[in-house]
Amino acid sequence: MGENPLNVSPWTFPILEVTHIVSFAIAIGTIAIVDFRLLGLAMLRQTPGKLTADTRLWTMVSLSVALFSGLLMYSTDPDKFYLNVSFLFKIVCLILAILFHYTIHRRIVLTAASGGQAKVVACVSIALWVGVVFGGIFIEFVKEGLSFS
Amino acid sequence: MLLSAAIWLQNIGLMRALRESDRGYETLLALHVSCIALFAAMILLTDLRLLHLAPRGYSVSDIVDQLRVPKRIGFLCVAACGFLMFGMKAEEYYLNIFFRIKVLLFGMVAVHALVFRPRVYNRVADLEGSAAPPLRAKAAAALSLLLWFGIVCAGRGIGYIHPPPFSHHFVLAQATRTPLDSSGDDAANMLTSDSTHSLRNEKGAHNADH
Repeated sequence: MGENPLNVSPWTFPILEVTHIVSFAIAIGTIAIVDFRLLGLAMLRQTPGKLTADTRLWTMVSLSVALFSGLLMYSTDPDKFYLNVSFLFKIVCLILAILFHYTIHRRIVLTAASGGQAKVVACVSIALWVGVVFGGIFIEFVKEGLSFS
Repeated sequence: MLLSAAIWLQNIGLMRALRESDRGYETLLALHVSCIALFAAMILLTDLRLLHLAPRGYSVSDIVDQLRVPKRIGFLCVAACGFLMFGMKAEEYYLNIFFRIKVLLFGMVAVHALVFRPRVYNRVADLEGSAAPPLRAKAAAALSLLLWFGIVCAGRGIGYIHPPPFSHHFVLAQATRTPLDSSGDDAANMLTSDSTHSLRNEKGAHNADH
């Protein structure tokens, strides 16, 4: 087994972390702008559909960068992550968030639904992405193993 | 002087309670980063629009005016969490080089706002139209992006510096658990040579937590 080249320089991991932070901030932030619009809180001159169409590429590219930089960070010490309950929580939230974004969220935006249904969808979307962030932060703080404590 | 202010801050009741709470720091950090995730892209969109880069089909006013209030609310949320994290470990943060860089960058953000708010952000009407944006708008946007990127890097850097072994709050945290000395607000009194042993022990316990 060769050494993971990512573990050679002490600068690699911080650079990956900053890349990860900036890219997930763009990905989640562009989705959140649509969610705030669905909630009637921001960008009221535009429709949710237009906002989504104009940010879709940004969301997709930055989400890909976030996933890729996350995968690289995972590869530096897989044992630390896959037995970490917070990491597993993060991955579950992430899968749900992505599925939700490209199915239910997308349909609500495209059908220009408004009112209660759109607001619930926006809240679920925000909650799932915040769940991903919480899971990520707590990786460093929970004890090894698969129990919450 | 600044150091004693930091020690005073971390020993007021709220900060002490947060510090001794279970998972208080981690929860604030997660909220801090969550709010960054929800709101930081608004800064990026504003600056990209000023640079004429993206997104097309939006007037400067569409972006700058419609995002002004959400951006401010977001900044307040992020800053409130950040301030509480700083407050509960103020001495540790004060000694942290990345925290100092971050504060310096925030000072530059304030200067940026003083310089460019009256000239660019509050004069959106002047920037409309298909002509290339004036240099001052481009300069404002480029500097803003640079400063906020620096703040993200410095913020992440804070976590890489381990606290020095002489942080006052480790002693004080213990003092509050001793019924004999519940009025121990004066950090200087706590740092007598008698407390050196307990200081080390507290420090050891702190390390074991992580």
